[in-house]
Amino acid sequence: MASSGAGNSNEAWGSRIGLILAMAGNAVGLGNFLRFPRQAAANGGGSFMITYFIALILLGIPLMWIEWGLGRNGGRYRKGHIPGMFAAIWKHPAAKYVGAIGLVVPLVVMIYYTYIESWTLAFAYFSVTKDYWGITTQEGMIGYLQSFQSIAPEGATLYHHPYTPYFFFIGTLFVNIWVLSKGISGGIEKLAKIGMPILFGLAIVLAVVVMMLPSQAGIGTTAWDGLEFIYRPDYSRLGEPGVWLASAGQIFFTLSVGMCTLSAYASYLSKKDDITLNGLATAATNETAEVVLGGTIAIPAAVVFFGVSGAMAVAQSGSFNLGFATMPVVFQHIPFGNLLGLAWFGLLFFAGITSSVAMLTPITAFFREEFGFRRETVAWSLGALCLVFGLMHVHWLQHGVLDEWDYWAGTFGLVVVAVLEVIVFMWIFTPAKAWESLHQGADLRIPKIFKFIMTWVTPLYLLFVLGWWGWVDALPILMHEKSAGGGPLNPADTPYITFSRAVIVFFAIVAVVLIKMAWVRNKYDDRKGFEEVDLSGEAA
Amino acid sequence: MSTAAIVFMAGSWTFVLGLMIFSFTRLLRDQQHFDPDGIGPAVPPKKAETEE
Repeated sequence: MASSGAGNSNEAWGSRIGLILAMAGNAVGLGNFLRFPRQAAANGGGSFMITYFIALILLGIPLMWIEWGLGRNGGRYRKGHIPGMFAAIWKHPAAKYVGAIGLVVPLVVMIYYTYIESWTLAFAYFSVTKDYWGITTQEGMIGYLQSFQSIAPEGATLYHHPYTPYFFFIGTLFVNIWVLSKGISGGIEKLAKIGMPILFGLAIVLAVVVMMLPSQAGIGTTAWDGLEFIYRPDYSRLGEPGVWLASAGQIFFTLSVGMCTLSAYASYLSKKDDITLNGLATAATNETAEVVLGGTIAIPAAVVFFGVSGAMAVAQSGSFNLGFATMPVVFQHIPFGNLLGLAWFGLLFFAGITSSVAMLTPITAFFREEFGFRRETVAWSLGALCLVFGLMHVHWLQHGVLDEWDYWAGTFGLVVVAVLEVIVFMWIFTPAKAWESLHQGADLRIPKIFKFIMTWVTPLYLLFVLGWWGWVDALPILMHEKSAGGGPLNPADTPYITFSRAVIVFFAIVAVVLIKMAWVRNKYDDRKGFEEVDLSGEAA
Repeated sequence: MSTAAIVFMAGSWTFVLGLMIFSFTRLLRDQQHFDPDGIGPAVPPKKAETEE
């Protein structure tokens, strides 16, 4: 059996806290501060929280442990990518090709997510320079955002040069790739150690400021009414499947399960390292950022200045309007508003970048481990690829290509990956081996009930979510009956959407070809599996 | 805020903060199984041994 060609990819985490901060940074993203409060408010408040915590216990935390377990098991054979992790467990020629989705999904998400992340960097700059000062209505700020995105309707006021979004996108992508090129310990871990404390610090400051905001003349509501808006239980909603699906979806997005990044990070651990307690700490950190801090900033601030009905209208109009249109209006009414604007968009930027740097880790690991390429070469080459296809999003945003990728990779794709992961780790590996593997070096004994949950409840819950979404959303979107963004489809956008889908299919074909090449190059035998290596890169 | 909203908020915050405090307390207490380079001991050497 050939060795895994791992000699060129020896990397490891420098410290346990660095590992947890990087994992939590990967999980804490824009969704914690923009998507969560909107979902909670729109889906029955307190009732949503009941279904949310059920989904956390039955889906989120089990999948977190499964991804850590899958990743660390792959790391025994120096496999930081899903094709290798699947092949290490499922000794079948199809395993590696099924795992191709684990290279495509994070790459696709990284490309458009970095573009969205660049908006936060741009708005941090616009806040400091008070560029949007004087635009005091939400409608006006939506126009400002559209001007920045170069999608303003004809005749609308233009506030920016057409090249402005390109400039910020390229700058954001450059920072991401630079961090990635520095490696696990020297780049990603350092970013997490700096970025996560800043993120939590800014979030705490903003939450305190928002909760102290006085009631506005003519509005009469306070931030506490905003919390009431989020947490007021509407028990009648508990019977709606949509509420259960919304909470399951939120748990999915917030914990970054199905993105293949947690498993890639965990592959840099040895079999003597704990993963059960580390995994739980990661989930707990993310949930604190989301429930305690994420729910206390945007919606309560919107309620203070626009009342409950105004905040509800904003929440229903989309997460980005809440973050990029409502909050800038709020900041203009507060002393030191430009600095608080910097804090808000800085917070979102750090939440975004600690997630996006993780997304290229699986594909970087693939090229380094299977083809022996240098880290810097892989990082900058992938950066060039992300630049080319990222420009497609910048240029064609108004044609729905970003929504299309967000749906197929960032929504539906995540659930598909998670289903495959749980089947491979819990069913093919067998529950007994999976349980034993999780507890190697464990600092925390997982309650036995979770063995049953992870074997049966989690996969069935996932299959239900996948089936429902497939029927209600995926099929109509695929057939061009509705747009991936939720609204009716503009027929003029169909060629752009078709092209964007073709790009994803192209990525998938290239991934399959590269996997085939890697297996031939390294003379892997699918039926025998890989040779185990220790983290110094030598055969064990 | 209504009593029901306060109950749900307090319950949610207690759950996530409790989970975080529990996990990080255990992390700080049990520094046994972390060996990032894969070649060191599973248990860190005691202070006295290190000094020797």
